[in-house]
Amino acid sequence: MEPAVIALESIRKYYYMGDFVIKAVDDVTMRIARGEYTAVMGPSGSGKSTVMHLIGCLDSPSEGTIYIEGEDTSELDEEDLAYLRNAKIGFVFQQFNLLMKLNALDNVMTPLMYAGYPLRERRALAEHTLELVGLRDRMKHRPNELSGGQKQRIAIARALVNDPSIILADEPTGALDTVTGEQIMDLFEDINSRGKTVIMVTHDPEVSSRCRRTIHLRDGKIVEDS
Amino acid sequence: MFTEFIKLALQSMVTSKLRTLLSLLGIVIGVASVITIVNLGESASKSIQADIAAAGVETISVSPRTRDREVRRTFDLEMADRIRSEIPGVYRIIPTHQFNTTVRFQNRTYDGTVMGVSDEYAETMDYQAAEGAFFSDMDNEEFRQVAVLGSLAAEDLFPDGGGVGEYIRIMRGGTARTFRVAGIMEEKSSSFNIQFNQNVYIPYNTYANRVTSIDFVRSYLIRTEEGADVLAVADEIDEFLERVVGSGHYYIFTPSTIADMASSITNTLSMVLASIAAISLLVGGIGIMNIMLVSVAERTTEIGIRKAIGASPRRILTQFLIEAVTLTLVGGILGIAAGIGLSSAAVRFFDWSFYPMVNIYFLAAGFSMAVGGFFGLYPAVKAAKLDPIEALNYE
Repeated sequence: MEPAVIALESIRKYYYMGDFVIKAVDDVTMRIARGEYTAVMGPSGSGKSTVMHLIGCLDSPSEGTIYIEGEDTSELDEEDLAYLRNAKIGFVFQQFNLLMKLNALDNVMTPLMYAGYPLRERRALAEHTLELVGLRDRMKHRPNELSGGQKQRIAIARALVNDPSIILADEPTGALDTVTGEQIMDLFEDINSRGKTVIMVTHDPEVSSRCRRTIHLRDGKIVEDS
Repeated sequence: MFTEFIKLALQSMVTSKLRTLLSLLGIVIGVASVITIVNLGESASKSIQADIAAAGVETISVSPRTRDREVRRTFDLEMADRIRSEIPGVYRIIPTHQFNTTVRFQNRTYDGTVMGVSDEYAETMDYQAAEGAFFSDMDNEEFRQVAVLGSLAAEDLFPDGGGVGEYIRIMRGGTARTFRVAGIMEEKSSSFNIQFNQNVYIPYNTYANRVTSIDFVRSYLIRTEEGADVLAVADEIDEFLERVVGSGHYYIFTPSTIADMASSITNTLSMVLASIAAISLLVGGIGIMNIMLVSVAERTTEIGIRKAIGASPRRILTQFLIEAVTLTLVGGILGIAAGIGLSSAAVRFFDWSFYPMVNIYFLAAGFSMAVGGFFGLYPAVKAAKLDPIEALNYE
């Protein structure tokens, strides 16, 4: 069997507020294979966002081990984790989270800057990726000059530009109208068909119905995996 | 990556110009005052040197530096002859002595300096008579009671002109002695440390034997031969005196040593002032720390995003340090420009020549950047340590 792209082994994430313990994630084990298209669903407070942050190495678990492409992330320091986020994971957020002072092209070029590409290559790669998401003609625009759907496309281009194996999307259609949301979902399907492992956190059954696998969380535990 | 961060820093400075300017004010004022003070100091000392050089009179002066009467007595006329004959390059040596007193003509009085000098004084110092003539060697040889007036003395005693051939009285120890006015000198601007116009000149021998009973020369004025190296001659004299009277018993001055002293004093002074002004740079640094802390707080979400897309703590630290350093460098450049403007205006006001000290510009720019790095470090570390999730969720 091919090793999982993402593996969570008995993950717990506790928050302590005085004597009170919040079990945001409580003994979660999951394996996600290369090229899967997975939705992580659950009501708010179910721990789905925390799972997403843990997979994205933005947060570390209280207990358990997370493997990204077979690598034990608990052994990595901040600098290594930053490298891992940069090279292997692309984030897409509900609120787009673009850098407002930069235009579309500069936004997409930023991960490449952290990866250490020279300027000329950065520009070529970013333009190519913007072309993929259909926004090449808007690359000199700043985020506040673009629609929600266009902003999310830029965010997707930014997630893709460094050619990571994993795309993590947190309610990517949550701030969009239905038609635009559909188009964004089409784009994710396209991305998945190109071999990227896509994990999407959502509470919208419409969205999860388009994914091939759905993991349901409640109170920090997996209640259904189908 | 550096260029991106510099571009970003400049961008955010342009978008909030007023805020940037206010937070930079401390740096700008600090740098401007350092530059102004240093440039003024430099211009002042160079102007003094230029004035001395322009005066053209390279005169060496030698004075006793002792209260020991025996040693002091060796500073006599014979010593003057020995210096003239034994040291090559010495053209003239003029013994001088002086006291302050009142000079009277009829009911007019003049409070000034009576100077006993040899008859070669006028020629040696290139000092011309306007009326009459400077006294002669015969006047000196025969202890004659003749006087020559500097222009200020003449103005006070003979406001309506004339005066040559009149008799003035010089007071000394309650006794008035009568002197015939032999000449009135032209106005001559002071050069070296000699004020010409306020003096009343009488022959040295008359001074030493008739007016006073001094047994030493207060000061020898030595003029070197045309083309001689004044400093080399001064060194020879120095060696001679060390041999004859012993070191520490005399002063020897050349215009150059005086110029050196003057510039070392102005330099020390301007360095002290500049250091005080540099302290205001540190105060300016606190303004930078403040604006950078505000900037980090405002851009928490940006920091979160950057971390999510792969910026390591070190990269975030670098970004904010570069921003702080860019900020202070811009402040430094503004301050340098302001300092150049201020100092050149002040130099014009004082009627000196402008001698800017260009090295200090680079030093000031470098120091501004160091201030940015130092005071930007804490905000940058704070930014680098932000938790990515908290930063992303920050409102």
